[in-house]
Amino acid sequence: MDTLTNFINGTITLFGDPLGIFIFFGGVIGGMLFGAIPGVSMLTLAAILLPFTAHLSPEHGIMLFSVIYCTGVYGGAITAILFNIPGAPENAPTAFDGYPMTQKGQAGKAVGAAVTCSAIGGTVSAVIMMIATAPIASWAISAFGPPEIFALVFFGLAVASSVGARTFWKGWLSILLGLLIAVVGLDPVGGIERWDFGMPYLLAGIHFIPTILGFFAVSEVFVQVEKKAKGSYDAPKVSVDFPSLAELFAQKIAVIRSIVIGFFCGILPGIGATLAAFMGYNEAVRWSKDRKAFGTGKLEGVVSSETANNAATGAAMIPLLALGLPGGALTAMMVGVFQMHDMEPGPLVFLNSADLVWVVFSAMFFANLSILLIGFLETKTIINLLRIPFQFLAPLILLLATVGAYAVRGLPIDIVVMFIAGIVGFFLRRSGYSVAGIVLGLILGKIGEQTFAQAMQMLHFEWSGFFSRPIAITLIIAGMLTLLNSIYSAFFKKST
Amino acid sequence: MKTTMKYIASGMLAGLMTLVSNTSFAACATDSLPASVAGPDGFPERALTMIVPYGPAGGSGQVAQAMAQAVTELTGVNINRDHKPGGSGTVGMTAYMALPSDGYSVLEHIDDASSAHALDSSKPNPASDLIPLVVSQITFSQIFIRTNEDRYTDWGSFVEWVKAQDGKATIANVSKEGSMERVTMKAISDATGISIQQISFDKGAPRYGALAGGQVDALFEQPGDVRKFLDAGTFKPILTILPEAPSAFPDVPALSDAGLDFEPLYRFRGFYVHKDAPADRVEWLQWAFQKAYCEQSYQDYNKSKFMHLIDSFRDTDGARELITATIDQYREVYREMGLEVK
Repeated sequence: MDTLTNFINGTITLFGDPLGIFIFFGGVIGGMLFGAIPGVSMLTLAAILLPFTAHLSPEHGIMLFSVIYCTGVYGGAITAILFNIPGAPENAPTAFDGYPMTQKGQAGKAVGAAVTCSAIGGTVSAVIMMIATAPIASWAISAFGPPEIFALVFFGLAVASSVGARTFWKGWLSILLGLLIAVVGLDPVGGIERWDFGMPYLLAGIHFIPTILGFFAVSEVFVQVEKKAKGSYDAPKVSVDFPSLAELFAQKIAVIRSIVIGFFCGILPGIGATLAAFMGYNEAVRWSKDRKAFGTGKLEGVVSSETANNAATGAAMIPLLALGLPGGALTAMMVGVFQMHDMEPGPLVFLNSADLVWVVFSAMFFANLSILLIGFLETKTIINLLRIPFQFLAPLILLLATVGAYAVRGLPIDIVVMFIAGIVGFFLRRSGYSVAGIVLGLILGKIGEQTFAQAMQMLHFEWSGFFSRPIAITLIIAGMLTLLNSIYSAFFKKST
Repeated sequence: MKTTMKYIASGMLAGLMTLVSNTSFAACATDSLPASVAGPDGFPERALTMIVPYGPAGGSGQVAQAMAQAVTELTGVNINRDHKPGGSGTVGMTAYMALPSDGYSVLEHIDDASSAHALDSSKPNPASDLIPLVVSQITFSQIFIRTNEDRYTDWGSFVEWVKAQDGKATIANVSKEGSMERVTMKAISDATGISIQQISFDKGAPRYGALAGGQVDALFEQPGDVRKFLDAGTFKPILTILPEAPSAFPDVPALSDAGLDFEPLYRFRGFYVHKDAPADRVEWLQWAFQKAYCEQSYQDYNKSKFMHLIDSFRDTDGARELITATIDQYREVYREMGLEVK
């Protein structure tokens, strides 16, 4: 009852103030736009707005960032689906199946599913956030240390070989290439320099955003250019047919599963929506009877990824607000907003600024709902971008991808990495390797390596230490079983 | 075991640090500088760029934001912050060194630049390859435990408990090779005879979460970075790594109280410009950044991070002395630790 009263009070405060309404809708639209335009992201918008939040009330400042977070995570799905350019890393798995759906003339269905599932994932997560922030936060940091996070990554990687590759072995080679790329730069625990070839910029590692842009956007342009040159290019059919209610209802298990996964990944400090999206997608593959259909335009792929990444948004606010531990880059910037107002997120926020917390909770709830409304209105228009002739669209994609690659860290080497990834991706795709697998390996590899090294330090370099941590060993055994099953299938089943 | 301590105890920093741990600073360090100074030939005619080799949310990002704001308040000149994280500050430093030395770009950096040069002299020496404009934050470290911890409650019981664990106890920090944290922990281990496993977390949130969630037994950190946990009563310090206890932590044992005889290493953050920048522009930048240190907004920020507990200000000459002594000190420690000093 208290929760409902607080929610109503937060809503009244939010919408009872004209400036609050203006900031709310500004954040909703700004997040969607910046999320959808490759080259910029919700982080870009947040960085631009950060100094200005000093002139807003704390309620308005934090609310603005939380709204941008919700809608920005969704916005990147549009370009992932339409052009194979994920607006943000957390939208990369959306492209795995979203773009093939566009090529099949099902862009409307893919975008419609993304809109609906982002809204569902985000809204459910916002409700859970309202009900149980403090106990969930405490449980998450107690139950999940580096050994458990490493086990979770291993569990995710175990199924990744079946994403987008022509054979089991090519799937694993793709993942291993991603893992290899992930070790370039300083070792995350000891600070040892690796694979930098004397280039200081490589010490920062290969960032996954230029890599994603290269493997997806640039290599796709090359593929289409080749088709154009051979005269086999077919422009994608423009379709604004949304998924039917029956089609969406058929995805209920995938939605529920991805909400759980997304929420779970979101509450782990320093993990956030990117891992959530990849894990959501991977689990959809793991539990599917038709694994091979993933990567070829399966609606469940879009649903799983977009539900999970938005479910992570509300969840990421839990460690931030309850413990002062940001889950990702944008929530880390929110710490800056708090500090500009002489506040610190953490347990005291609930005691000292309960009104602020409930305005934020209400704003996130309504921001996720507004994805549904504005998303559907926007989709009817934005899908028409596919009507742009390829000779104009291709340079535009390359330009946006280049800007996007550079904008991440302001390093020219990221542009080089992007084009190398584009060229390599072009040839690997022709050979049946999986660029999705490489990206999975890269992203999960960075998290996995760091947490593995930390886990080994914590377990005093004894492998048996994993057996003393029930969650970790359960995930590792489940991952091993998945792996053995994949190997068995590769050797003994004709279908693979 | 004792030799490392003695190197640290050589006290090279002792004369430089001028610790005034129990003094409040009524007058600010640069009050005597003129309130306004015209730039040479209208310099700067456009916004300055500040390269920050770390992300916007961490300690460097925050001090860069606070100093940029203070300089803008003082001079009206905007400063665009360009974050180039990665490689423990190496990427940002490299990017900065490649920029034109026209005085329009400045660099924020921390003591990691000094320790990196100490380990590998091919890396820029902040005291000679750059001109320090100001060092605006100097702070100390502490060891923290959870407030509701019942296995140990203070430094003495913690040391006893760690000894009983026979090397199984853990502490979260940034224990990269040659880092201030690793060197200091070695000194503490040598002095107390404890063996404790250091768990390296390069980002703050997982590091603090590891202690709050009971994944590790203790945390090595600077108090300003965990202030919210102190204010919330979640963490408490059990050892202050300063010779004497500062005013804000009178009941927490300092090194002398704990019988630890070594001179601590400090975390410091400052702002730099190319050594080849035009001298008159450098002079103006020195005035702007040093004077901005005393702007109310910057002083308030420093206070919120416990940076007022020891004298956080160094002008150009003071910063050079601090950096040079730090490099010398790190080199001696590294050699003692068996690291290859290039």
